[in-house]
Amino acid sequence: MNENVMNFNYNGDNPLDSTGVPRKNLVVFFLIDTSASMKGKKMGELNTIMEELIPEISHIGGADTDIKIAVLTFSDDIQWMYSIPMSAESFEWNRLNASGVTNMGKAFEELASKLSMSSFLDNPSMSLAPVIFLMTDGFPSDEYKKGLAMLKSNSWFNYAVKTALGMGEDADDKMLAEFTGSPDTVVHAYTGNQLAKLIKTVAVTASQIGSETYSDGINGISGKSKQELLGEQLQKLTAEEDDDFTFSTGW
Amino acid sequence: MIELKIGQHIEMEYGGTAKVLKILGSGGQGIVYLVEFNKMKWALKWYDIDKIKHPKEFRRNIQNNIADGAPSNRFLWPKYLTKELSDGSFGYLMELKPDSFDSFVDILNTYKLVVDPFTGHAVKKQVRFSNLYAMVTAVINIVNAFRQLHRDGKSYQDLNDGGFFINVDTGAVLVCDCDNIAPEGSNFGIGGKPGYMAPEIVRGIAKPDVQTDKYSLAVVLFRLLFRGDPMEGERVVKDVCLTETSELKHYGQNALFVYDPDDASNRPVIGIHDNVIRFWRLYPDYIKDAFIRSFTVGLHDPNKRIIENEWQKLFIRLRAEIIQCDCGRTNFTTMFGKNDDRSYQCPKCGKIFPTMSFSNHDFRFPIYAGRRFFECEIDTESNEFLNLAGEIVKNKNNPNVLGIRNCSEKTWKVKMPDGKFYNVSSGKGFQMWDGLEIDFGNVTAKVD
Repeated sequence: MNENVMNFNYNGDNPLDSTGVPRKNLVVFFLIDTSASMKGKKMGELNTIMEELIPEISHIGGADTDIKIAVLTFSDDIQWMYSIPMSAESFEWNRLNASGVTNMGKAFEELASKLSMSSFLDNPSMSLAPVIFLMTDGFPSDEYKKGLAMLKSNSWFNYAVKTALGMGEDADDKMLAEFTGSPDTVVHAYTGNQLAKLIKTVAVTASQIGSETYSDGINGISGKSKQELLGEQLQKLTAEEDDDFTFSTGW
Repeated sequence: MIELKIGQHIEMEYGGTAKVLKILGSGGQGIVYLVEFNKMKWALKWYDIDKIKHPKEFRRNIQNNIADGAPSNRFLWPKYLTKELSDGSFGYLMELKPDSFDSFVDILNTYKLVVDPFTGHAVKKQVRFSNLYAMVTAVINIVNAFRQLHRDGKSYQDLNDGGFFINVDTGAVLVCDCDNIAPEGSNFGIGGKPGYMAPEIVRGIAKPDVQTDKYSLAVVLFRLLFRGDPMEGERVVKDVCLTETSELKHYGQNALFVYDPDDASNRPVIGIHDNVIRFWRLYPDYIKDAFIRSFTVGLHDPNKRIIENEWQKLFIRLRAEIIQCDCGRTNFTTMFGKNDDRSYQCPKCGKIFPTMSFSNHDFRFPIYAGRRFFECEIDTESNEFLNLAGEIVKNKNNPNVLGIRNCSEKTWKVKMPDGKFYNVSSGKGFQMWDGLEIDFGNVTAKVD
């Protein structure tokens, strides 16, 4: 063999031997109220719909985005369902139970501590701004302003696509709008059917918008932020109302 | 949106109903269902009408596309429209993709999720090209499909990783999601997918058309071969969080190719872009130059983008320059040693490969057992990239002697050692020798 050929480095040169394309990270945070008032039908609906929802979310990213899920529950205590965000493809939903009070402020503080590159958002490739979905049926029992202020000073939170779902009569939409930054991105469910539908629509729409940038397409950058796009779409989607039993009378 | 119910009957435009059987998948504009219509199974794409900007025009465009028919059988083209429901929503039927095809997304991810029928759990199943021929053939087929579409005066508009199904064993390609395809100059609201959109669309100064398709096509080809994003390198990942502003910068105004020869500030990063780093060095310069051109001068000047016919020629050459060595090593000739102008040598086992020349190509084809010739290589008029025309085989009695089998429909004229030409008909073979000449019709080949 001549010298040229002998010195050839042919290690690792199989053009077919690839790993997956590097994917961008998108963490979808679910902040879920598991206080006692959620007991019964609301929790049942929520658990069922979340189980069904996750496989659907996992397809949204395609080959470009790895969608991960992190679930934080708050009642007397705050608790992550898993200690790190898990890929939606392999996420298994643990059914939640309801009891205790609504320590939403503590949940905000905990979320703020995890919204960092050294914590939950540590993808070596790039991350997309996270999607944050808050679900509650009541007013915080604790002082939430401090936690909210911590979030508002976190730039991941500021870039995040934020949405909130109020359940039943007691949820305070004004406070939820403080969290998301605008009333457009707060939706309200009064009935079980609405709850199931809204969780799904809101989570899928927010994840879709979160995983893309130019969702408005045609004019390139639309001039609208993701948050504004989400507000617009949610307003359109929730315009269609339907009736069934209401939470306040049903249980 | 209003989802269809399993068992629901949807009225078709020209009579009859399609019965919804199950959901096959969902996308940005709607949901795809498996349906039964006229005792056959079809895929029904059902639109989320709220997400369609101009539903009437959009529907009329699909109607026109149905009437025009597909540019070729490489498209899963719309076949029948449904009637509109009271809220204006509608869908169309197309043929189902065969099971032997995998989605391009799964190929890029290198796996797919398959639900185990016994446990109901999704398990990961590897998806990769089974051979190098298949991968390069897939590229040729993708390029050719878009050449056919553009020759029909239409553009795809939303070219991205979700638009193809590929047979990883043969390289056969089916283009799907053909509903945004529109005549040149028209656009019905689609912008495209981030990462695939031409910079001028990202910047908001152009609408999708044939020229922007060419940019997206180059991105698709780059991702298929190099398994990474052509614009994502050091400069991009420094941003950590990909916000609207950083995306506009890195994919619009200041987009910079990772291998821009004049600017090294956005090179791929070890640990993140390992595929791109590893694969870039394997390819011959004529392939790398085409990508460099697409993503440097072609980035901001749509007229400088590589035309499909040029891609097609480059990749037909690349496929012809694959060597499959007996020791198991399969690679492009660039990754084999070159002793002289007429032979290659395997760096692993030392085997030497002679070459032959073709009258319609200005490069030499390596000779080895298992080497296949395709119709497009021996017939200048042919667009058949999958059809086998000939194959180099070992003699059954003496494996050291190589011959060529005529797998085409045509009769070839072959010069034998006695200096005379003989007819070799379809299915017949003949021995290779130094001085062999083959007349395929409008192409000739020589071992010299």
